[in-house]
Amino acid sequence: MENKQIIGLFVHDHPGVLLRVTSLISRRGFNIDSLTVSPAAAEGYSRMTIRIEGDDDQVEQFINQMMKIVDVKRAEIMPEDSSVASELILIKISTDGNDSNEILSVTSKYHASLLNLGESSMTFRASGTPDEIDSLISEVGAFGILEMARTGIAALENGDKCIND
Amino acid sequence: MKLNGSEIIAECLLEQGVDTVFGYPGGAVLNIYDALYKYSDRITHILSAHEQGAAHAADGYARTTGKCGVVIATSGPGATNLITGIATAFMDSIPMVAITGNVTNDLLARDSFQEVDICGISMPVTKHNFIVKDVKDLANVIRKAFRIAMSGRKGPVLIDIPKDVTGAVYDYEPAAPAGITNPMLSGEKDFREAADIIKASSCPMIYMGGGVVSADAEKELLAFAEKLDCPVATSVMGLGGFPSSHRLFIGTIGMHGGYETGKATDNCDLIITVGARFSDRVAGDRKKFGEKAKIIQLDIDKAEINKNVKIDCCLMGDLKDTLAALTDSIEETRHEDWINQLAEWSKKGEVSETPESDDYAHPYNIINIVRSLTDDEDIIVTDVGQHQMWVSQKYRFECARTWCTSGGLGTMGYGMGAAVGSAVAHPERRVVLFTGDGSFHMNLNELATVRSYNLPIKIVVLNNTVLGMVRQWQKLFYGRRFSQTDPHRQTDFVRLAEAFGVKGMRVHNDKDAQEVLSAAFATNEPVVIDCRISPDENVLPMIPPGKTVDEMITEMA
Repeated sequence: MENKQIIGLFVHDHPGVLLRVTSLISRRGFNIDSLTVSPAAAEGYSRMTIRIEGDDDQVEQFINQMMKIVDVKRAEIMPEDSSVASELILIKISTDGNDSNEILSVTSKYHASLLNLGESSMTFRASGTPDEIDSLISEVGAFGILEMARTGIAALENGDKCIND
Repeated sequence: MKLNGSEIIAECLLEQGVDTVFGYPGGAVLNIYDALYKYSDRITHILSAHEQGAAHAADGYARTTGKCGVVIATSGPGATNLITGIATAFMDSIPMVAITGNVTNDLLARDSFQEVDICGISMPVTKHNFIVKDVKDLANVIRKAFRIAMSGRKGPVLIDIPKDVTGAVYDYEPAAPAGITNPMLSGEKDFREAADIIKASSCPMIYMGGGVVSADAEKELLAFAEKLDCPVATSVMGLGGFPSSHRLFIGTIGMHGGYETGKATDNCDLIITVGARFSDRVAGDRKKFGEKAKIIQLDIDKAEINKNVKIDCCLMGDLKDTLAALTDSIEETRHEDWINQLAEWSKKGEVSETPESDDYAHPYNIINIVRSLTDDEDIIVTDVGQHQMWVSQKYRFECARTWCTSGGLGTMGYGMGAAVGSAVAHPERRVVLFTGDGSFHMNLNELATVRSYNLPIKIVVLNNTVLGMVRQWQKLFYGRRFSQTDPHRQTDFVRLAEAFGVKGMRVHNDKDAQEVLSAAFATNEPVVIDCRISPDENVLPMIPPGKTVDEMITEMA
């Protein structure tokens, strides 16, 4: 079954580790649509969150291949029904020919904060699940999106379980 | 103890039990070579003609000893010349530590003379690599590199060391090498499941690969196969891991495997895969491979599970342990009917003897004569091409670690270096290199090394004057349009050998083959034997790429 799965990686914070991960993704032909890196809670480690498209076998192969990288300590699926996944978006919407109140009424549904008001644009910040962000983008699309930047997905599993346990 | 970085490298090599290294000096490794001068009573350095040859030599040394091969090269071109050798080792899971020098720290990233980002270049073909920018990290990185190379699924590790680090002085504290234990990842439940599948099977087969040799698990495999009374087919990489003379051995499997092993794969109800990876050259159409069979896979690398072929049960861990535990979990069985069936297929697949020729020697004839002149423990090295496949089909291997061939990467030019490494490792055994005129032309410069160290390698050139394997594919799939496979070279290999100070001999045809080869093998010095074979000889049988045994080609003009 074609699906998207989020994988959490717990890696040594060594120079080149991002290259090792992305080079493997590229040469094994995995299809990813989001990758984020940040320091992990434990010193000397980083946390990567990768969303991969593929069937269950491909996801299994992805995790097994990742675990062969010496600097990767853990690679685990963040199951959709038992994880929280969020991303942040900055989005610049055109106010040319648009009613600002209409824009605000849409963005407020997504709890987007207005960060900056330009001569003919409004810049918002919103966060939410990847689906919520997709939906925000599609709703404000009619106004005209001048520019946007998404951070990519960060995810943690529900409950007390941690990837570095 | 205060030592400079290069002395620390030498001490760490000694810690790991290294007494032989292969390499080539250069500007960025001058400090290292100065230390090798000082340590020359304890570390033997073998100088190759080209860094690629040194890397293949470290590979051949590793394959035939089971130890970790070590190769040293300078920065820039020295380092890039290692890459084919490292990639060859990587594809065949051969443990190797490659040490490269680099420019000094303050010159790094400035496109300095002979600077190259070898860590970036080697990343996809190493298990791991390091750049050591501070001498205080050096000893531990070397220890870690050996541990990575030798643990789990083995493979090459590269350490890049800027020149100032090899000259900097630091405290060296000796340390014992880390004992390597590979944990058993499968539990009792997995073995019970495997045993149940085995019990339900009436016509099982074992498909073994290079992992059996890598894990030194040939005794465990033999015990398992005998208890189960199960036929054993091998990938090209697994040759030597199971005795060819054993009644259960049915030969190689795959593109140029036998009719019998192909039929066995298609008709068995269980394939027990031991240290093998269902490569395209074995599986052909991977969706149809063993379609009627359940598959149990024993491996140390979890990423091999369900990679090419979907399997039913896996046992993860060191093959020595998993094979022994599986043998304990099964009952002694007999599979007479199945084995008789295989014997019938075997008869059907027999190739008819070719008549003796006055014009050429037949490659099978050469291989059989060489086999009669060698002992079971002697080492057989090949290059890549038709000769390699003929040897894999015909040479009767009896012992593990007597076979060096580039199975995964298929590196033409591998043989000379690998033969040098094998001969350095085993002065007490005979080393034979089978090569083709195409492969030999690639790295025959190592004849200089063979002569310098007086390595009594018998170099058997199966000379058909064409690039035979590619030409065979052109015959089959490209309407006999022989594009660039007939180079019209005028090289006289006998005189070439003599120019390097090596004895040269020639086999003209089937009639003088026995006499010439006997004379060559009677000497204790290196000999190049130029064997003239027909350019129209093919490797048969052949299953075309992506096909099954039903589409096997058994005859072609």
